[in-house]
Amino acid sequence: MYEEPYRWVEAVENRRQYLDDQFRQGSPLVAMSSVDGIVLVTTSHGTPKLYEIYDRIGLGGMGHPADLEKLRFSILDMAHVEGFQRSPADVNGSRLIKYGLAPVIKQAFEEIFKAPYITKLLLADMGTLSNQDRYFTVDYDGTFEEYNDMAVLGASSTIQDTMRTYLKSQVTPVASTFQAVLEVAVRAWALGALSQSQDNDNTEASSSEKQKNDQSSDSFSEEQILEHLKTVLTEKTLECAVLERNTPGTSKYRTVDQQELHSLLPLLNQTTN
Amino acid sequence: MGFQGDFFQLLKEQGYQFDIPTSNLGGHGHTAQPPITQGTTVLALKYRDGVLVAGDRRATAGNMVMYDRTDKVLEIDRYCVMAIAGVPATAFEMARVLEHSFKYFRRSQLQDLSFEGKLRALSKLLKENAPAALAGTGAVVPVFAGYDPQQGCGKIYFHDILGAEFEGVDHAMSGSGSPTIRGILHYLNRWSGQPLATLPEEEATVIILRLLTSAAEFDSATGGVNYEANLYPIIKRITEKGVETIPSEHLKTLYTSKVAQYV
Repeated sequence: MYEEPYRWVEAVENRRQYLDDQFRQGSPLVAMSSVDGIVLVTTSHGTPKLYEIYDRIGLGGMGHPADLEKLRFSILDMAHVEGFQRSPADVNGSRLIKYGLAPVIKQAFEEIFKAPYITKLLLADMGTLSNQDRYFTVDYDGTFEEYNDMAVLGASSTIQDTMRTYLKSQVTPVASTFQAVLEVAVRAWALGALSQSQDNDNTEASSSEKQKNDQSSDSFSEEQILEHLKTVLTEKTLECAVLERNTPGTSKYRTVDQQELHSLLPLLNQTTN
Repeated sequence: MGFQGDFFQLLKEQGYQFDIPTSNLGGHGHTAQPPITQGTTVLALKYRDGVLVAGDRRATAGNMVMYDRTDKVLEIDRYCVMAIAGVPATAFEMARVLEHSFKYFRRSQLQDLSFEGKLRALSKLLKENAPAALAGTGAVVPVFAGYDPQQGCGKIYFHDILGAEFEGVDHAMSGSGSPTIRGILHYLNRWSGQPLATLPEEEATVIILRLLTSAAEFDSATGGVNYEANLYPIIKRITEKGVETIPSEHLKTLYTSKVAQYV
């Protein structure tokens, strides 16, 4: 039945709707450059969503954990074989994403008799200098995009735009310290999660209620953002990882533990009271 | 399908061959075999805060000095090093395999490989290398040392060319200059009045400089210290902070004040 072109287009469209639904409850993800390195922030239910891929490369994802694991192993294999057979200097995020992961995800998405990957990925590749940092996002259909100072993942492109606009309005990424960037990243995460939660409420509500509830996401106050963060963190754990530019040794990735997060983020102590 | 997180298995699946095919190298004991580059005299000893690992810097091929700035104390990860004696070509390759294997394990399995797991990985490589080692083209006799953050102590192991591992309780050494320093270390540890494991870093470093100078005295393949060329051994300390290299300026000060004047 899918031999006819319009049937195939219809099937792909159905698949988009199905996948969009899968990400509604997902945790957004923020990655941003600072003078000291790259900060990655999300929340999780125990299973981590931020990973070390190579010496200067970190990965974050939204979606189904099993799919995320499969793609994570595939990119780990690529990076390590390349780093060993050539040189660690030859491993970069651009090639891993553009010639490695994106084609695989696109193929799975378009093979309509098989299950697609339910994942959105964000890869952060730290340069020697802060203006050399590169970010890549890959959507569930294999579409990839490249950014310089920051990147985000959210349930929809509108939410991602909201988060990016907020980040840009708050700090100059490459010129700010790790702590400053971390705080803004956590707020941007909360804004993304709040916008998603409002979108979900609107989808479930009737059209009249929708009009009543509709609040433009750029009009959320800082108090509302913090309040939402407080609510989410009663059930989930804030997860943070950094790629540190000046740390000794070849591996620059480090997971920031809860104790350090609380000492770096006074706003967390306010919200968990 | 190998074990989960096994990088060496992954490499093999990609067509990588670790060992040197010995049959193409002129056969066993062939007189026309070219001299193979070798490295000599490495040692590790436990001191008050962890482990010190050192190596002279000379690489030789037969009677010829190939290179006088070799680094034979290879950092494998944040907490362990492999000090090599034998054929550098094989040893460097082993170090590269190990470095990637440990990183791959940590990144894929989301936990650090245990110290014992790391030792086992090295033994496996030595076993794979046995044909080349026995043919005389790729023998490597490493000392593997590190700090075990899980147990909070320094550890030293040495190996034979087939991969058997032995724990060096207080110290271990390898290479052609090692017979000279083995006796001295044994003597110092038992009868000098202070066991090596209780020494502060500076005293332990002076002992190492003296030992390598002694090894160079009796073994032409060991470089020792070359004061005129400002060339000092590589000495690394491994503590709970990880692996750090002792700067050669510091070694120069110690050598001038505590080693040269006694020679």
